[in-house]
Parts: sequence; structure tokens; C-alpha cells
Amino acid sequence: MKIFKKIAAFFAASALAVTFAGCNNQQESGGNDGSDNSGNAAYKTVDQIKESGEVTIGVFSDKNPFGYVDNTGKYQGYDVYFAERIAQDLGVELKLVPVEAASRVEFLETAKVDIILANFTVTDERAQKVDFALPYMKVALGVVSPDSAIIKEAEELNGKTLIVVKGTTAETFFTENYPDVKLQKYDEYNEAYSALQDGRGDAFSTDNTEVLAWAKSNPGFTVGVETLGSTDAIAPAVTKGNETLLKWLNDEIAALADEQFFHKDYDETLAAVYGDDEAYKENLVVEGGKM
Amino acid sequence: MSEHIIDINGLVKHFGDNAVIDGISLSVSKGEVVVLIGPSGCGKSTLLRCLNGLEPIQGGTVTLHGEPVIHGDKSLYRIRQKIGMVFQSYDLFPHLTVLKNITLSPIKVQKRDKAEVEAKARELLERVGLSDKADSYPSELSGGQKQRVAICRSLIMNPEIMLLDEITAALDPEMVHEVLNVVLDLAKNGTTMMIVTHEMAFAEAVADRIIFMDGGVIVEEGKPSEFFKNPKTERAQRFLKTFTYTK
Amino acid sequence: MQGIEVLFMGNNLLRLLSGLWVTIRISLISIGFSLILGTLLGAVMTSKKPVIKAICRVYLEIVRIMPQLVWLFVVFFGVTKLTGLNLGGETSAVIVFTIWGAAEMGDLVRGAFLSIPRHQFESSLSLGLSKIQMYVFIIFPQAIRGLIPNVINLSTRMIKTTALVSLIGVTEVLKVGKQIIDANRFEYPNAAIWVYAAIFFMYFLICFPLSMAARALTKKHGGE
Repeated sequence: MKIFKKIAAFFAASALAVTFAGCNNQQESGGNDGSDNSGNAAYKTVDQIKESGEVTIGVFSDKNPFGYVDNTGKYQGYDVYFAERIAQDLGVELKLVPVEAASRVEFLETAKVDIILANFTVTDERAQKVDFALPYMKVALGVVSPDSAIIKEAEELNGKTLIVVKGTTAETFFTENYPDVKLQKYDEYNEAYSALQDGRGDAFSTDNTEVLAWAKSNPGFTVGVETLGSTDAIAPAVTKGNETLLKWLNDEIAALADEQFFHKDYDETLAAVYGDDEAYKENLVVEGGKM
Repeated sequence: MSEHIIDINGLVKHFGDNAVIDGISLSVSKGEVVVLIGPSGCGKSTLLRCLNGLEPIQGGTVTLHGEPVIHGDKSLYRIRQKIGMVFQSYDLFPHLTVLKNITLSPIKVQKRDKAEVEAKARELLERVGLSDKADSYPSELSGGQKQRVAICRSLIMNPEIMLLDEITAALDPEMVHEVLNVVLDLAKNGTTMMIVTHEMAFAEAVADRIIFMDGGVIVEEGKPSEFFKNPKTERAQRFLKTFTYTK
Repeated sequence: MQGIEVLFMGNNLLRLLSGLWVTIRISLISIGFSLILGTLLGAVMTSKKPVIKAICRVYLEIVRIMPQLVWLFVVFFGVTKLTGLNLGGETSAVIVFTIWGAAEMGDLVRGAFLSIPRHQFESSLSLGLSKIQMYVFIIFPQAIRGLIPNVINLSTRMIKTTALVSLIGVTEVLKVGKQIIDANRFEYPNAAIWVYAAIFFMYFLICFPLSMAARALTKKHGGE
């Protein structure tokens, strides 16, 4: 029994060590001001990626139509289409890694992926931790309402009831800018949509990409306001300090403007959901990194 | 009464600073029944526990057939097979049937033949009047029945000596008899025993020799007839008085 | 029945099954390690030495206080940041669930041992059993009897908690389900209920034999 006890004690001790190391590490990364690369694992430069013959890109696997897995098990979507082009132009194999919204920054910080292409909205806070390349898509707020009483201007909502999802940009935006709009708040998207369908509110507002897609597959509802509030950029991100890859991506995005690559990307992946309407397209697509 | 089974020589046992056994010397001969009596906490149960090495001792020696009993020593596993011990608490193994309780040790420790051991076990059960309980679990038995099984479990090892530690103390009064009768029967058949008990009538009936202990030492010893009729020491007199109800 | 066809489209059923295999693989390996390490840890936890007791206590409390999600982040990302060692998602998951499972298991084992009365040990020794024989024939069987329901409970908790591993890029059955629902969200908005029903059925398929095995074991060791 003595030897058993020793082994078990060793495991207990080493588990403790890992725990303390982990806690310690979290503090470190929390205090990282982003000006150096000390907290980040070794990223791969463009040359190293080419040498290894493989580029690893983190994408969503359940955000149709931007990044998802189709019924045959193949990755599809606007982000994936771009990822395939990146691999092709680097001349390497593409390895896609499924990521979640909450772990995108960490995947880059630990260099477990080379690039994140997962509907990643550029924010100041994130820019402290990762390096964003030029945008390839943009997103603003949209307002969807029943055909019987289409809301075409945000001002029309004054005195009316607007459905929002808690914690979204829409909630903050209307609270700050349209205090006369009555907000009806829900925790989940599907609750909010049910409320709209049941007529519990006059309209529903969230990211325009989301409401546009939903209105397409729900006849009787129209997105009357397609862009509202400030427009956010969606861009690829690389590990902080990976300058060669960042520069390569910026050059790539600029060069792809010549062939209107992202318009083609839209036609291939988003048109089925958002339609071919040029106005829709211009609301979403960013070409050459120019918003 | 010539061959010594157990020899205790100057035994000392401390719990912390407290000397529970303070120099005891005593021998038990083959076929002899020695009954230890004395007030609670006088060290008689501890003495039994020292005899099969359950407690470490601080001085003196205990030998079984001349071989020293040493707490924590490997030889104990062999020596303990020759010392049967029954405790006050019901200590049957609750997850095993009565038969398995009895046969586990002879089969696993003594490597005896299973069929032989089981036959022997049934014979012992019959002797204590429990032949119909072989396949019962301990939880289905009364306290008295459990203690009789515990006695069988020790006997089947063919021990040189049986140590019985207040085996009726936790029993309801109506069950005390059935257990003590079994012990009396063992005594008649020449089983060497050391018994700690508070049943004075039983002690008188079963013992070849009474040892009266108090404060960790032997205060008085003698034949039961003499001891109970005419205790020589004042302490033994006082002790025996507590068992007589007087108005 | 609208939406049920989604389950049979493309490779979906096969994908769900391979997701289930990932779930089973991670949880079974973790449970296996947890049982072994937890039993040893439990033996250590019964120690009377205050320092060892305190260390075990601190370990257990730290593991319990930190959510498994945080543990996954600490091991999958934290270890890489700290040491540069790049652990895979499944490896990290197994490490995390073993750290957690062993701690919980250790506490269960400790409780089971302490619930066995001292005279069970003493009468075993008095019968001449060696320490190993005592544990194998007397102590473990009694401890296991009290332990089995708790271990099964812990195992099912571990199986369900493996759903968290999608956060570190491991695609287990629940994640596959979400992918299928999402891929078909425009054409088959009602597919979700069928996909979740299928996953529920699959979880049941793993957990049911587990509880059956538990019952059989309880009978074998319990008797009563």
C-alpha cells in the first residue's frame, strides 16, 4: 500500500501544480497589454506555413451561411470559401478547425490556428489581443417587421414595441438613441422570433445579416431597415505580432478586389439565403478592404 | 496442564502516557480456561488484543508456543491462524453468507480443500444450533446467532487458543444464554480459552482459573470456587460486591 | 414528422454516430483513469496525517470550485501559453475530466472506506488474512457496494459534461447535432427537435447499459 500511496500523492501534487500554474497564467494573459508577444505561443510565419505545407484556419461549424458543415460533412459558407482561396494562393493544404465564438481569441493566442475566419467583428478590445487584417464583410443593425406594417425608418418605431435579444448591439443602440421605443427583451433568438410571429411586438432588430437571412425563409416578413447604427467590420485575424501573415492577408484581400472575389463569394454562398439583390450584396460585402 | 500455549512476560502497554497494562506475567496451559475479570478499563480487553498483535506493546513479551508475537511483523499472519478471536461487536462480514464467512479464511489463508472446509463449517453450525442458517446473510440473524457464527468462524481455523472479548456484552439478555452455552460446551471439550466477561456466574462455571485485574496489573488469581467464595484482596471483594444487589 | 428526414440526409446519421464515438471515447478513457487514480487518491485521503489531508482537501476544493469549462481552457490553452506544449483537444479533454473525475472519485472512495467499521479490519486480521487479502475479500467488496451508485452517477455526469469539449475544437455528438440543425435551419426549421431526440436516444444507449452493469455488480457484491 505504501507505494500506492506514494503514486497517488504524486498525482495529487502534480494536479495541484498544474492548477496553480493555470491560475497564474490566467493572470498573466489578463495583464497582457498586447504590445509584445511574450504571452503568445510561437506563431508560424508565411514562410513556415509554406514550408509545413498546411495552413490551419479556425472557422465556425454551425453558423450557416458563414461557416457550417453541410449534410455530407463538408465545410461550407462565406468564410470557408475565402479560407479555401487563402490555402490555394499560399499553395498549401487547408486544415479547418471548428471554433466557438468564446474561444476564437485563445486559439490565436496559443497559435493553435494560423488564421481565424469566423465572422470575427473588429473591436478595440479584441484588437489588443489579436491582429486584424483588412475587412472582407461588414455588419450593421437591421429591423424586420410583418408585411402588414413594414417599418421602413427607425423613427417609425417611436411609441411602438421593438423586440430585441438581451446583450446584443441592438439593445444598446436603441436604449441610447431611441429612448421612446419600447423594448421587449428575450434571452434567445428563437424566443424573439416566436414573439415576432405571434405579434407580441411590432418589429425585431439585431444584426442585419441575421434578420435578412431569417426574413428570406419566413414569408410575410420583410427587412424594412437594412442598415442602422454604426457599421462594424468583419475581418480575418492572426496571432498578435505575426506581421508576415498579416501583410500577406492584406495584400491578398487588396489583390482579390480586382476580380471582385467577395462578390463571387456572396453569389456562391450567401445568395441562396439573401438573394441576388445588388442592394443586399452591397450591404454585406467589402471588397479590397474598403468599407 | 503442563504444556504452555501462551506465555506473557512483563507485558507493558501504554496509550500515550497512560499505562493500561503495567507489567503482567501469565501463562495459559493447553486445555485451560482462563477468565479475566475486573472493572471497566482495567486493561483486560487490551490484554487480549495484545496477544494476537492487534496492539503494539511497549515492554515485555508475548509468545505462542515459544514463538514471539510481534505487532506489525510478517510472522503474525501465520501466528494469528492459531489464535481464534471473537469480539464484542458483531463483526461478521455483511457481504458474505454465513457459510462464506466461516469458510473464507480456511480456504484463502490455510489453502484447505473447499469441500472439506464446507463440510466442517456445516458440522460446526450444527453444533451451535444454526445448521439452517448457512446461506443466510448476517443481517438476517439475531445478535446471539451472529456471535455463535463468529465462534464457528474462529473454530474452523483449528486454533490453539480462543480469545473471547466480552462476546455477550452487546447482546439482549435473552440471547446471552445461547452464546454462553456454546462456550461452556467448548470448555467441556477441552478448548484452550482466555475469556473476558462480566457474567460472574458464567465465569465461575466455565473457568479453571480466574484472573482479577485492576489498574493494569493482576491483583488476584485463583480457582473460581475459592475466588468467588473468599476473595483474598480488598479490591476483589469490593468488585464482587458490585454484582450483588443489596437493599 | 416534419424535419425528421434531416437525420437521414447525406452522412448525417453516420456523423452523429462518429460524434457519439468521440463522446464515448473521451468519457470512457477519463472514467477509467478516474477510477484508478481516484481509488488511489481515496486511499491517500483516508490518511490520518494532517498535511496529506490538507493537500487532498485543497486539491478537491480547487477542482470543484473551478468550472470544467475553465479547466478545459486552462489545460488546452493555458498549458500551451505557459510551456509551448501543444496538447490536442481530446488529450486536453481527457486530462481535464481525469483531474475532475479522480478528485470526485477520491472523495467517494474516502467516504466508502471511512464508513467501514474498524472491527471489520480487526476481525479480518485476526483470522490470519494478509492486508491484501483483507482489502480484496472484505474491505473492497463492502466499499464497492456503497460506491457503485455514486460512481455511476459521477460517470453519467462526466458523459454529459463532455459536451463542453466543442469549445476546444473537439466535435462530439452534441456539436454534430448543432451543425446538422444549423446547416438545415432555412429548409427544415423544425429539424432541431428530431436531432435532439436522436441525441437523447444515443445518450440513453450509453447510460442505460451502464446502470444495468451497476445493478448487476451491486447484486454480485451486495447479496442483499
